[in-house]
Amino acid sequence: MTAAGLLPIVIGGSVAITGLYLLRMRRRQVVVPFAALWQQVTRESESRKLWRRLRRLLSWLVQILVLLLVCAALGDPRPDVWLREPMTLAIVVDRSASMSGQTADGGTRLDAARVRVQQELAGLGPVDQAVIIAAGEEVGVLAPRSGDTAALSAALAGLAPSHGEADLVRALALAEHAVAESPGPRVLVVTDGALDDGGLAALRRCTGGAIPCQIVVTDGATSNLAITAFAARRYPNARDKVEVLAEVRNLGDEPAAVWLDVEADGVSVGRRRLELQPGESRREALADLEAARARFVARLESVDDPAQGISNDLGPAFDDIAYAVVPPLSPLAVAVVTDGTDLFLEAALLTQGDHVELTGVSPAEAVAGHAALREADVVVFDVGDGPLPAVLPEAHVLIFDPWRTASSPCPIAKRADVRRPFLTEWLRDHPALAHVVLKDVNISRGTTFALEPGDQALVRTLGEPIVVLRERGDHGLVAVGFDPRQSDLPLRVAFPVFIDNVLRYFEQREPGFVASVALGGSRELALADLGVGTEGVSRVAVRAPDGTVRGQPVEDGRIRLRALVPGFYEIRPEGGDDSDDARAAEDPRSPDRPIMAELAVNQTGTMASDLHSRLDDVDPAALAGDAPEGAPVGEGPLWTALLLVAAAVVVIEWATYHRRITV
Amino acid sequence: MALRARAAAPGADDGTLFDEAFLAKLELLHVIARRLFRGRQRAERKTRKIGSGLEFADHREYSPGDDIRYLDWTAWVRLRHRLIRLYEEDEDLPIRIVVDVSESMTTRGRAKLRYARQIAAALAYVGLANLDRVGLTCTSGTTFDTLPAVRGKGRIFKVFEFLRAVKPGGATDLRAGLSRVAAQSSQPGLTVVISDFYDMQAFEGLNLLRFRRHDPVAIQVIDPVEADPRGSGLRGDVTVVDCEGGSHREVTVSARTLEAYAAAHERFCAALESNCRSRGIHYVRAPIDVPFDDLVLRMFRMGGILL
Repeated sequence: MTAAGLLPIVIGGSVAITGLYLLRMRRRQVVVPFAALWQQVTRESESRKLWRRLRRLLSWLVQILVLLLVCAALGDPRPDVWLREPMTLAIVVDRSASMSGQTADGGTRLDAARVRVQQELAGLGPVDQAVIIAAGEEVGVLAPRSGDTAALSAALAGLAPSHGEADLVRALALAEHAVAESPGPRVLVVTDGALDDGGLAALRRCTGGAIPCQIVVTDGATSNLAITAFAARRYPNARDKVEVLAEVRNLGDEPAAVWLDVEADGVSVGRRRLELQPGESRREALADLEAARARFVARLESVDDPAQGISNDLGPAFDDIAYAVVPPLSPLAVAVVTDGTDLFLEAALLTQGDHVELTGVSPAEAVAGHAALREADVVVFDVGDGPLPAVLPEAHVLIFDPWRTASSPCPIAKRADVRRPFLTEWLRDHPALAHVVLKDVNISRGTTFALEPGDQALVRTLGEPIVVLRERGDHGLVAVGFDPRQSDLPLRVAFPVFIDNVLRYFEQREPGFVASVALGGSRELALADLGVGTEGVSRVAVRAPDGTVRGQPVEDGRIRLRALVPGFYEIRPEGGDDSDDARAAEDPRSPDRPIMAELAVNQTGTMASDLHSRLDDVDPAALAGDAPEGAPVGEGPLWTALLLVAAAVVVIEWATYHRRITV
Repeated sequence: MALRARAAAPGADDGTLFDEAFLAKLELLHVIARRLFRGRQRAERKTRKIGSGLEFADHREYSPGDDIRYLDWTAWVRLRHRLIRLYEEDEDLPIRIVVDVSESMTTRGRAKLRYARQIAAALAYVGLANLDRVGLTCTSGTTFDTLPAVRGKGRIFKVFEFLRAVKPGGATDLRAGLSRVAAQSSQPGLTVVISDFYDMQAFEGLNLLRFRRHDPVAIQVIDPVEADPRGSGLRGDVTVVDCEGGSHREVTVSARTLEAYAAAHERFCAALESNCRSRGIHYVRAPIDVPFDDLVLRMFRMGGILL
């Protein structure tokens, strides 16, 4: 109702109230036996006469106030925030690790984000709705879509920074999907701007999309020292020793000093003081550490006495610690198919370390299919005049003179027989030929090979390949086109070096040990990459650093790892033996079960630790302005509140009338 | 109207005013009175009349015409003053009971008037039973009915009839009423005034009786609700109208006002009591929630008031 329409009501009501009020002022008569006493009493209160008149006036004013409130309610006054079209707001809160950085007022960036979200919720109208999405490594709905601002605000209490990057790609997709079909869709992203490339791209797509999308930046101090890399490995030639590499980077804008402390199974094994310029990274290696210690932890500690102009501010703590696991020592199974006449080959193999497990197989057994050939990592065929099996085993194969007979299982085709070939060219940079000199090698006879795409001719004789490397799938094949017995190569140093190089090359082609992975909500991980076999294991139990244990099925030797907390994760077999007795024998999730594999989970990397906002070049129109003004009443039409106020005033007036507070 | 209940029709309660129970109480009062004052002679109450009695009372200046036999010669010889000796004259002392029947006694269903009439009847009965001469007067601003003094217990029914027949009404004017009583009394005596004394000049009437050598007794009948109306539920803006006409006043009644009124009423009663006691006038406060026979007995025990 308009003001012009309300005016007659106000006037008429005022007149009516005034008339009724005057009628009410006609006093009732009370007959008393002795009025003189009443006169005496009232004479004593004459001084309050003015106040009594004022009270009567107050009573009349209260009645008029009630009328005005009711008329105001009839006018259905509502603030602008209520009159606009309904809005559906999706608030995406960045809870990445960088949000634990400080702001100018001393709080964290996440605290500032929480305050801003509270302000946004306070500005919602009665028909507006909002959904709050938390974007960490995992994307989750912090508060489902609702118009209940109290419930939405309460959900913010559970907002905490994660340990990794924010997955804004999925978070924004979820936000847009949540509001796409709703009236007045809008997406508000509250972030510090320290995003990875994917998040930045997703944010740009969102701000340029069909749904209005704005950004609130809650950045702050950018000083941060971080461990950006940390790994441990065994020495290739001394597998009882390990070396540790740690990379520390100054991501701040001023020089900084820090202590880097490395512990192995709780014992400090190295402590170094680093001074880094802005943007500088320093790699520190700790050599010749005992491999008996499997768990390594690197920590950054503040320097108590920094030099002038050097900062000792480490920034947020999430990247001041890193974890690494020493890879397990796994043996290399080598099967040698030989007739026992090539002692030079056997001597070259026996020079390998303990990690090489040699198994000798006669050519006849090899033809029949020996079990050692099926389990071997590398099979060496040096059969001389003996037969070759019809099919080569599923392993890395080093085969000498495969085409001495018309038929051969060697997949590398024969090109031509060569008499007295000379080794004229060889790939000196190939690992298989490292430190190998083949000059002036005398060979009685040999065969050259026909190359196929992908094949590498390691050695040539006048341009024709005589030693070829073929790699297909998981296995490699090195075919040597001559018999060592028909050459003087075994008499040279190059022979055992060549044998060692080939074995090491094949060994390095085996799945590498994954010493550490980055944080992630769901990542596929091959157990073989952890250096463990998966035969007979259908489920594993993964114990996180926070003590939680999660069972995971093993499919094709792979599990899905949910790693949201940095630290050491223990993987134990669970139900590998499907028998009931085995199940009942022990709790599969018991920490007493032997650890099958161990894995270190670390921060995402440099990008996650960089606290600088990358939103400097974002369109200013995409940035949200100041927080909206809070709605005067949380929910419900204002006229209801006005009527309640009017009713309250009437009740108060009624109660006070009978106590002579108002008249 | 909180302080005045719906007015009862005149004479509506007259049938139960002096019923059998009332008469039984009167007889009990009489027996108690005889036990309390055993040994005293009936009707031997002395007047203060100066006359030809035997007991010396006072002197006064001689004036021509006085009986020279009463001249105090001893004083004349010693002081050369001619003084006449005065003697108290033994005579029956009449009892006059004055009942205020003004409009103020009729509020709240004539409760105070009923109570006053019962007290008057009780005192009259005791007096008649003691062979005193008892007269009654009902007075107000518009009424002045008198029952001449009668003697003998058998006249009590005449007293009842007189009290029952009286027409209440009019303003309280005790000064005029008591002045008229004093003027009509040929012989001073015990004058019991039963009233609420809601009259600023009431004490002057009592004082006038005392001046005329009466022995006044003031019995103030009080309705507790009228004395302290805080529990009456009276609130708000009212016009207070005096039941006896004329005066009215606009009052905003609050708890504080009622409290002030109760205090003022108490001060008013205390002032009346103080004035009475300072002048040797017996004063009895009679709340109507106290049974009338208890009140009369209390008066007996006070001694010297009635017997």
